Amino acid sequence: MSVKYIPVQWNKNKYLYDAVLIVCVVLFLSIYLYLAPDALAHERPINPAIHNARAFGACAFVMMTFILCIGPLARLDRRFLPLLYNRRHFGVLTALVALTHALTILNWYFVGGPVDKYEALLISNLAYDRVIGFPFESFGIFALLCLGVLAATSHDFWLKFLTPPVWKALHYLIYPAYAAVVAHVMLGAGQDAHEPVFNALVIGGSATVVGLHVIAAFWERGQGDPLAEEAGGWERVCAWAEIEEGRAKIAQLTSGERVAVFRHQSMLSAISNACAHQNGPLGEGRIIACLVTCPWHGFQYDVRTGRSPEPFTEKVPTYDLRIDGADVLVRTEPNPPGTPVDPVPVPDEVTA
Amino acid sequence: MTAQSILTAVEIWFWIGLAVGALFLLFGIHRIDEDANGAVAFRPLLIVGIVLIWPLVLWRWLVLAQGRDNWQARHLPPRAVHMIAAVFLAVAVGASIILSMALKQTWPDHIAPQQLSEASEE
Repeated sequence: MSVKYIPVQWNKNKYLYDAVLIVCVVLFLSIYLYLAPDALAHERPINPAIHNARAFGACAFVMMTFILCIGPLARLDRRFLPLLYNRRHFGVLTALVALTHALTILNWYFVGGPVDKYEALLISNLAYDRVIGFPFESFGIFALLCLGVLAATSHDFWLKFLTPPVWKALHYLIYPAYAAVVAHVMLGAGQDAHEPVFNALVIGGSATVVGLHVIAAFWERGQGDPLAEEAGGWERVCAWAEIEEGRAKIAQLTSGERVAVFRHQSMLSAISNACAHQNGPLGEGRIIACLVTCPWHGFQYDVRTGRSPEPFTEKVPTYDLRIDGADVLVRTEPNPPGTPVDPVPVPDEVTA
Repeated sequence: MTAQSILTAVEIWFWIGLAVGALFLLFGIHRIDEDANGAVAFRPLLIVGIVLIWPLVLWRWLVLAQGRDNWQARHLPPRAVHMIAAVFLAVAVGASIILSMALKQTWPDHIAPQQLSEASEE
């Protein structure tokens, strides 16, 4: 979290996350380059410059594979949520490793000729009408461009400026980028590799990514949030007895928005389920001292006002709420972000 | 489209992006984002992003400057994309692997070379 774009919540977990990332990258490159240079062997001998380029390329592929596994794993099992915590730094580091791979290739294969190296890259192979021999470099250029956009727009400013839905839509470029990387590898170095380690790395890694995404998508469909029932400008969310102390029940309103109804100290409050930061599911968070903590990145909100505690400035919409018999009803139209709403006592507390 | 025209287009995109970035960071950002008021150190971090997606920056700048931002839209995450992404990845990644493996040509290094004809006199 930041205040006026000055980081104020860098903690030891974030430093540890980044340190582990850097150590893993250094280890991977060291193993590939020095300890087991023949692990990902090729049919024909390659020189050190190409070996370096392939080491960085393989590292970028493995990093993208890990990054893409984090999302579905965290959806399937909350124990993986800590990996989501600083994933953007993982992405930026991946873009830098991929850029190193691209520059090494560019400065080895495409220099010294009569034309500019960038032009040489674009005209060296124009066989776009075939599969084997296809200019696989074009897939790499596309993927690198996507990774560049994702890394360059990873600062929190972009989330606020573009809005979380637009920012997320932009960052879905990671999926075509990964598909392009697989095509780039399989039609490039994959045509030269003959050791089982290489195939296991590429096919096993990409199959894991695809498998996890398919499983998580179907699991999520089966776990869909219940739909609220419309009742004259109000919507029936759930029975108040279903809400555990310190927790929330989530429901999708007829407007398509999701509301999270929290119970705290036997009082009920309703706020938007979408965190103002990255639209993380606030209703899956836990209340501690009136503050619900987003399970994705730790942003906190007072459930009575929808506001982050000082000095933070994030706000989410609140909802008017009332009890009707055993049911909790919220007004369909949300209040503007940060509007205080008096909590409603749960009936058993009133009658006690 | 020639390679030269692609590179020229990239160059034009870059210079326009740089100009948009300079204008936005010097004169626009603090008017549309109160948190950017007095916050200067983070602005250079935004330059590469602005150069890459300057049309999007111009659009959002215009929307925010005209007060047309829809705050409710900020809280509607596109959750249906997960299924689309899963299907897309399965098809695209699967096609890449199957096609490249099926058509792969291997060098016959297990066969000893045979001389098919006599060497020429020259």
